[in-house]
Amino acid sequence: MPPTCPEHGDVAMLIAYSLHGHVKQHRLGKVYINDVGFWIERNPDTVRGPDITFVRAERATRSRKFFEGPPDLAIEVVSPNDRYTEVEEKADDLLRAGAQAVIVVDPNRRTVRIHRPNETVNVADALVVDDVVPGWRLPLSEIFEE
Amino acid sequence: MTVTSLMTADELYHLPNDGTRYELVRGELRKKMSPTGIAHGRIAARIIGSLMAHLEIHPIGEVYSNDVGFRVARNPDSVLAPDVAFVRKERVVDSTKFFEGAPDLAIEVVSPRDSYSDVEEKAADWLRAGARAVIIVDPTRKSARIDRASATSNVAEAISVDELLPGWRLPLAKLFA
Repeated sequence: MPPTCPEHGDVAMLIAYSLHGHVKQHRLGKVYINDVGFWIERNPDTVRGPDITFVRAERATRSRKFFEGPPDLAIEVVSPNDRYTEVEEKADDLLRAGAQAVIVVDPNRRTVRIHRPNETVNVADALVVDDVVPGWRLPLSEIFEE
Repeated sequence: MTVTSLMTADELYHLPNDGTRYELVRGELRKKMSPTGIAHGRIAARIIGSLMAHLEIHPIGEVYSNDVGFRVARNPDSVLAPDVAFVRKERVVDSTKFFEGAPDLAIEVVSPRDSYSDVEEKAADWLRAGARAVIIVDPTRKSARIDRASATSNVAEAISVDELLPGWRLPLAKLFA
């Protein structure tokens, strides 16, 4: 897969920065970037590397292998050439493996959507996932401003 | 400075038939992927079949197969063509031209090559144009979701849009069999 574009990198950075600040301040766990691999299925194996992930403190690690199991929260920033089916399938896989929420961010259309096992929600104002990262709030304007 | 002139719906309608299917998005011509893959066509056909069977018993509107143009915006013009469309009886017109306005229900069958942004933009365009509901069907993942102005819902077992087609139900297992 070729490197991605500045817009993707900028948006991902803004989100990770916000999330990390909050997670660290409240000692909630760890935020990983750069497509850390999560080994979510075996035989056949599936390893997924979301753009940004959060793992709760009890489960967080600094290992040198793939993380065994799902992240608690996965965030994907869509690149211009990402296929709809692939993006959705990745979210499906992570949720089925036990992720509590998968957030899909589309910088092109300036939209954010939260996928949970039982529902999909389009974010209107600010990104909030209190069930996974209590207290974190990121206004969309901060993600999508130039 | 380059000036691009915008195309109108009328000009789109009178384009010579070169075998390529187009849509018009805010005055710009866009090619539709044509021809499509087998799965796409199979799924679209099953959806149409299901709707037609229902409408035969409950004649509350019309179903259109792919490439009927719906003029959803003017100046600049936008003409979109869904894979399947349903229009309520009260709004049906008999014409050889494009339909003025959005269908009540637009159904898009996703191809593996479709980009995420394009699919999402299409769904948003339909809603913004006045469609009451948009169904996005993904044969690869054997799943479907229904977008309304109010919310998005993932189809669990069967597709139904009771506010538009009371009693119509298309089980996913049947659609993707």
